[in-house]
Amino acid sequence: MALLVRSLRQSLLETRSSLPPTFLLPFRAHITTVSHSLEAGNVPDPLIQSGRHVSKDLREKVQSPPKLPTAAAAPTPPTSKPSAYARKDEVVSELTPSIRQMLPLLKSQSPHYLTMHIHGRPYLLTSGDTLRLPFLMPEVQPGDVLRLDRATHIGSRDYTLKAPEPVNGTRDAPKKVFYLDPELFVCRATVIGVESEPLRIKEKTKRRQRHIRKVKSKHKYTVLKIGEIEVKSLEEYEATVEEQ
Amino acid sequence: MPFFRITLMRSGIGMPTKTQGVLKALGLRKRMATIYKPVTPEVAGQIMRIKELVDVKEVETAMTKEQMKAARRPDPGYYVETRRPRDLDGERLS
Repeated sequence: MALLVRSLRQSLLETRSSLPPTFLLPFRAHITTVSHSLEAGNVPDPLIQSGRHVSKDLREKVQSPPKLPTAAAAPTPPTSKPSAYARKDEVVSELTPSIRQMLPLLKSQSPHYLTMHIHGRPYLLTSGDTLRLPFLMPEVQPGDVLRLDRATHIGSRDYTLKAPEPVNGTRDAPKKVFYLDPELFVCRATVIGVESEPLRIKEKTKRRQRHIRKVKSKHKYTVLKIGEIEVKSLEEYEATVEEQ
Repeated sequence: MPFFRITLMRSGIGMPTKTQGVLKALGLRKRMATIYKPVTPEVAGQIMRIKELVDVKEVETAMTKEQMKAARRPDPGYYVETRRPRDLDGERLS
């Protein structure tokens, strides 16, 4: 009897192994921090409650008698950013079960690519790339090492870790752009130097005048070399998060 | 102190001179320009003259033009980790 119990316990322990071997997993999979489906956190509150939602203004108007225009200072809900058409950059550090499951696979499959955002513009980078920025970066000199920390994608051949889609702004709510947690990866870039475009000459003419003004322009651009791209493992990531 | 946040949604082109004058007085020069004005009867009257052209909301704090621009600006997305050694003039050493 005792022998049977032991064998039962062993079989139970065996089935508890967490991760199936790589070849059993789906060949192509995308991992996101937030699913793009209609999940509760992904849809703004007013949309979810659209069925039973009565706007606050309307409710106030119905409940309270009309006020005189001098009392126009009705209590408006305090907004963090009263500016219209603002932008908010957010870092998503939530680990969903699918990320926990797939991140080791993504990490094991190098080489990786990243979509890094510099001043809000995306650049798809792999290790060893030379990147000519479309602007002259201020206060850097050749040899300086930059750390890039705003990424929306970490990818390998078969797996991609995506940040959630940006949420468009309105008059009152800022546009939200989501980035992956910078603790998930390391991406360094070395400033190589400054590149210059060929001299452009634009001819400016005015009516009834023979004189032609020639406007010269010769812009300078910073050139970066992307160093090694490192994707952190789940354990490393959780350790750094706990430290913070 | 509450403020009106006034955004010009439709251009004043083709409007009567008086309407365009109100836009000029408020400082709304082009479409989608936003200004903040204190809640006073004078400003309310001005808004009434251009109510078809603007979007108005009452907010608690005003923002300057620079603050509005800073709110629209994205993160730089980089920081300098190590600098190459330089001398006092900022020139880099060989």
